[in-house]
Amino acid sequence: MPGADAPLPVLETDVAIIGSGGAGLMCALHAAAADPRLSITIVSKGAVGRSGCTRMVQGGFNAVLGEGDSLESHFRDTLEGGHYLNDQELAWTLVNEAPRVIQELEEQFGCLFDRTATGELDLKPFGGQSFDRTVHRADQTGLEIMSRLRDQVFRIGARELEDWRALDLLFDQHGELSGLTVLDTRSGQAAVMLARVVVVATGGSATMYRIAAPAREKTGDGVAMCYRAGLELRDMEMLQFHPTGLVAGTSALTGTVLEEGLRGAGAQLRNRLGERYMERVDPERLERSTRDVVARASYTEIVEGRGTPAGGVLLDISHLGAAEVERRFGEMAARTRLIGADLAVGPVEVSPTAHFHMGGVVIDPDCLTSVHGLLVAGEDSGGTHGANRLGGNGVAESTVFGARAGETAAAIIGGRGLYMPEPELVAASVERAYAPLRREGGQPPFALTDRLKDTMWVHCGLVRTREGLLQAREQLAELAKESSRVAVAGPRDANPAWQQAIDLESQLTVARLIVESALVREESRGAHFRADFPERDDESWLRAIVVERGRDGEPELTTRPVELTRLATGGRMLEQA
Amino acid sequence: MTALAVEIERSDSEARRHFTVEVGEPTMVLDVLLALQRTDASLAFRYSCRVAMCGTCTIRVDGRPVLACRTPVLLGADGLLLEPLAGLPVVRDLIVDTTPFSTAWRSVEPWFTPRADAEPRVLAADDPSREAIESGLDCISCGACWTACDLAGAEHRFLGPAALNRAMTLAADARDGARDRRLRLVSQEGGVTRCHYIHGCSGACPKGIDPAASIRRLRRWSIGAGR
Repeated sequence: MPGADAPLPVLETDVAIIGSGGAGLMCALHAAAADPRLSITIVSKGAVGRSGCTRMVQGGFNAVLGEGDSLESHFRDTLEGGHYLNDQELAWTLVNEAPRVIQELEEQFGCLFDRTATGELDLKPFGGQSFDRTVHRADQTGLEIMSRLRDQVFRIGARELEDWRALDLLFDQHGELSGLTVLDTRSGQAAVMLARVVVVATGGSATMYRIAAPAREKTGDGVAMCYRAGLELRDMEMLQFHPTGLVAGTSALTGTVLEEGLRGAGAQLRNRLGERYMERVDPERLERSTRDVVARASYTEIVEGRGTPAGGVLLDISHLGAAEVERRFGEMAARTRLIGADLAVGPVEVSPTAHFHMGGVVIDPDCLTSVHGLLVAGEDSGGTHGANRLGGNGVAESTVFGARAGETAAAIIGGRGLYMPEPELVAASVERAYAPLRREGGQPPFALTDRLKDTMWVHCGLVRTREGLLQAREQLAELAKESSRVAVAGPRDANPAWQQAIDLESQLTVARLIVESALVREESRGAHFRADFPERDDESWLRAIVVERGRDGEPELTTRPVELTRLATGGRMLEQA
Repeated sequence: MTALAVEIERSDSEARRHFTVEVGEPTMVLDVLLALQRTDASLAFRYSCRVAMCGTCTIRVDGRPVLACRTPVLLGADGLLLEPLAGLPVVRDLIVDTTPFSTAWRSVEPWFTPRADAEPRVLAADDPSREAIESGLDCISCGACWTACDLAGAEHRFLGPAALNRAMTLAADARDGARDRRLRLVSQEGGVTRCHYIHGCSGACPKGIDPAASIRRLRRWSIGAGR
């Protein structure tokens, strides 16, 4: 087997960006703008600009642009939506910079957003917001943003390592960040990349659930490698479920999101008995309630036996009339016709679907972490959204913080040299990656991935209990044991089964941190609902759960009070110094 | 459940080519690939988003370039023949190297360039250029048109439908300051004049774009744009 004893190729760069979604590409563009002499390398597990989730954004981008709207209002909505678990400085940064980023996307990068006849940006209403502030291009907003960003990246001429995955962060003997190990998945060749600054922007890990929305690549690689490197993670128990994922049998279409705008436009949810159960759960807001509330209500219908035989509930917008549904939601109607339903003329089966990870690496508003030279941006970071993310704040986060990471990278690079990594770290990382190819007699990863998804769905999903979480802990420990015996036959070049084995390692690492954090939080807040502690408890739990890798290699959990630097829980703005 | 015979073009001549898979409803071609991967873990194919946004699962199904995630399998069909996209080097099995496609795309300088005078900064909803721009947006770079084009895939001396479509969306945009330069780029050898209007591209586009129409517009604009 090649790769073991031969010396590894060594690449050098000023800024290594891991991930090529909204955060990664904005980072590249802003680093290049701040200092055109920088050498920038984009390491992308999938196609550059075409992998990850920014591109899949349907709804839009929240920014304060309309007359009568205010930053304070967007900020307050974000904190209310996040149940005050947010890092208020991150949330403020998001809100404060979103309008500038929209302007840049439109005027500098050419995004064509929908405008009204009078020339203003067309701002549409979204869940949990007190003002219409969602910028969009029809229902394909993410595609427009990512296509334009991708083309701008051609302009700056960054080095693009497409279909290369990052394995581990590397350090020298004094603990200085020296770069990362990478794997060219087309050739199967590993390499060392020396970098003065590393930006982690790989996206979240919600694919570890049986029903899930994100793109294939999103297996928690960034968070897992940061955890292994000793960084602090926060809010790991906060995993968002979107209320309306498609139910399509065993097809991979299952879990793909039917956008929030449907509920905004009056779509109704009913159980198998025809009851409109949101009348019971939230009589005031009905289907327009926040994602955590609607998702849990649907889930309850399904597990209590009032769902459809296929395990869903029914989403119906056909009262708008077929022509109107086609005009506003044509892409989604077309998708439902693929599975023998038709959103335009009748109800469609949907289920809550794992969607977005609010938790992640602890950062400051400049994307700095506790490791000098290491930045984190986008879904890999934690704190911006607290316990629940508002629709439209996701693409805003990736682009706002991606841009900041690029500027920070350029600002700190002068103080960083290239440091030679400890050979043992390199060897261990590469050995771990190649292990499934070298083993004999084991099974490929598929069955284990399925079991992981079932465990997380059943025991660490929308409704959690101590008992269930303890079972999850046990099952994850068993899966970790079995995953160390996974074996993949076949060549090392372009081998998706091998890549899935490496994905599984990341997923198991992150899954464990979600379960351990969920066990600690003995209350219910936002996406985290404990049936044994069903109330929100600000007295004891206005605290973030922080986890890091202890000296013994086991997760060490602590809690830290949320700092109410700008807005008190009652909704009172605090004086700014 | 129905048994379906599937034949897959493999890189390794020793690798298994013929499979039978049990399919229910609904089943996309992508689902067939995911099921077969469990029979033969060495099978190489790619996908990402499952919802026709990433454009990475493009293959030929019974000869036609399509997105695997968007193509339902018809129960009762005789069988499926799955092959990699034509006109691009094969990496392994159904995975192709899209470098020729992206090189052509890059060569039209596809990045928006704001006008020096920054006027107009934005386009109103009723701005006449919106219609032309929007007709070419939402391309997912899947390469179906490249394979379907008799010229692009075959000889790589034609920029191809997708790149020219991108150039059209920029040339139509009153906010863009690089119109003249871009029209010169697409007027060169291998540009708009090479298209023979066979319309393979427009028939193949999974997003309903009409690249042949984009090329016609671009050709019209490039006449008189000077060299």
